[in-house]
Amino acid sequence: MATNWKKLLTIVVVVAACIVLPMVIEIGTNILNLMVMLFIFITMSQSWNLLGGYTGQINLGLAAFFGCGVLITHFIWQAEVPIYLAVIAGGLSATVLAVFIGLPTLRLKGVYFAIGTLALAEALRIVVGNIFPEWVKMPAIYVTTYSLIPRYYLGLGVALIAIAVVYLVTNSKLGLAMVAVRDDEQAAQVTGVNTFKYKVLALLVSAFLAGLAGGVYAYFRLSFMYITTVFSPLWTFEPIMAVMIGGSGTLVGPIIGSIFLVILSEVFALTLGEAHLIIFGILFILAVLYFPSGLVSSVDRIRHMMTSVRRSISKLRQQL
Amino acid sequence: MESVTQAIASGIVLGALYGLIALGLGLIMGIMKFLNIAHGTFIILGGYVSYWLFSLWGIDPYLSIPLVIIATFLAGLILYKLTLSPLLKLPHIGKRIDSSLLITFGVIYVLDNAMTLVWTSNVRSIITSYTGEALTIFGARLGINGLCGLGIAILAAVALYFILSRTYFGKHVRAATQDAEAASLCGINVQRTYLISSGIAVALAGVAGVVIVSSYSITPTSGLSWLLIGIVVMVLAGEGNINAILPAGIILGLIESASIFVVGAPYRQAVALVIFIIVLMFRPQGLFTKRE
Repeated sequence: MATNWKKLLTIVVVVAACIVLPMVIEIGTNILNLMVMLFIFITMSQSWNLLGGYTGQINLGLAAFFGCGVLITHFIWQAEVPIYLAVIAGGLSATVLAVFIGLPTLRLKGVYFAIGTLALAEALRIVVGNIFPEWVKMPAIYVTTYSLIPRYYLGLGVALIAIAVVYLVTNSKLGLAMVAVRDDEQAAQVTGVNTFKYKVLALLVSAFLAGLAGGVYAYFRLSFMYITTVFSPLWTFEPIMAVMIGGSGTLVGPIIGSIFLVILSEVFALTLGEAHLIIFGILFILAVLYFPSGLVSSVDRIRHMMTSVRRSISKLRQQL
Repeated sequence: MESVTQAIASGIVLGALYGLIALGLGLIMGIMKFLNIAHGTFIILGGYVSYWLFSLWGIDPYLSIPLVIIATFLAGLILYKLTLSPLLKLPHIGKRIDSSLLITFGVIYVLDNAMTLVWTSNVRSIITSYTGEALTIFGARLGINGLCGLGIAILAAVALYFILSRTYFGKHVRAATQDAEAASLCGINVQRTYLISSGIAVALAGVAGVVIVSSYSITPTSGLSWLLIGIVVMVLAGEGNINAILPAGIILGLIESASIFVVGAPYRQAVALVIFIIVLMFRPQGLFTKRE
């Protein structure tokens, strides 16, 4: 139990710090911006992690659900609905979208789900670009009252919801079924798990979280010069990268990966500009090939190495 | 009536290009059970190589095809050696497919941004003296470039068919596809077969790139939309059914040019997606394969 108490205490301290700090001290705009992006990335990567890490279904069209959340939230908020409701509506719309692509593709084994989601994101990008060829923007009144603090709290809230949802789902019977589907779908089916049902459920929850993240982004950005950018495959690639670097199928992995990614992209974007994505791509490939369990497991690995080194040192001492 | 023949003719030309795009994709999928998401990006790479040969040395795009094939074949070898061959060690086939998806998704970002650095993000296309010219066949006007593309697609499909069915290499490929372990017990170098076939697959992408750069235009990031068309064609043909890919491409091209009458040209991608979903719902094994 001791470690559990320690863990709980750390979580409480971190969350409390996130809530209290912006109230107490003046934080620069840059850092607040970064924090909001970090929260969006945490939500997105948890969303991908639920489906990719726990259920084993590769979603290559996370951007579709994210972009759908952005669009719906934007227009509902513009109709003077409170932002909290608008964000939830964004999440629900992403869930509806997920039904359309999930039902035909999740029934089949193999790559069809990945292909279907990728195609969905790309088709949406092009169709939405045709419907809204011009600026998608908010009326001036929204711009003059813009302040980062509510964005920060909304982002924090959504990120906490995402983490809590993934924690609750994966520690329930549902999570057990999902892991069974990932590890061996056939065996799960034979033992009586309705694999299709659990795959669809995982997709719906995951899409809802991605839609929420999109809602936060719509609230954060207000106007979009090219609305197609929210459907760009980068919104799929970077969350997957965060999950893979942090450690897929774990709760902490995506959080660590997101922090790593946001800091890294800040550092690289300043020094390298566009080329930083080349380095990201190479890092990603290396992570998938040689480091499939991510940074989280490497902490364990290092701890393991430390203890074995310590043991051998003490053995040496005894011999001396 | 005239517009109908025109639509059919341009649908066939478009569809042949779609088939050409899907050939390499279907080859890797059929043989190794890897889905190469970066296929579209290699198409664009082939287009840029051709563009460079044209703008630096004035080599005609269709004459530059052998050079493009050599360049993209080498790129395919590198792709296999660096990213795909480590995956073959994974024991579980589902895990192998998933990792290949993720890794080639990463390859897109490396290549996309490398190409943006080298060739900038401007829209590029090759304009030769015969670019705008057209022939009239049975009352339908077809551009010279489109007809060349049609010829190249048919040539590539026929060549691939003969390589796979009439040569020793093709025999090795078919053996490795059926059962890699048994093939290697019979003395077939499965690794080398895989290596060369991924080279051929990427070279086919390069050839498609030449056709695209001379009749359409390319930007470093436009690979993904070509890839999706290739995937839809592959699903229409049925997984691993390489001989059916060109006919499936032509069917998709015809459907698309018919859909332009109904919903308008900007929604072509959405039409392809709808076809994809319908095929998966009713005939997931493809149009040309019988259910086992």
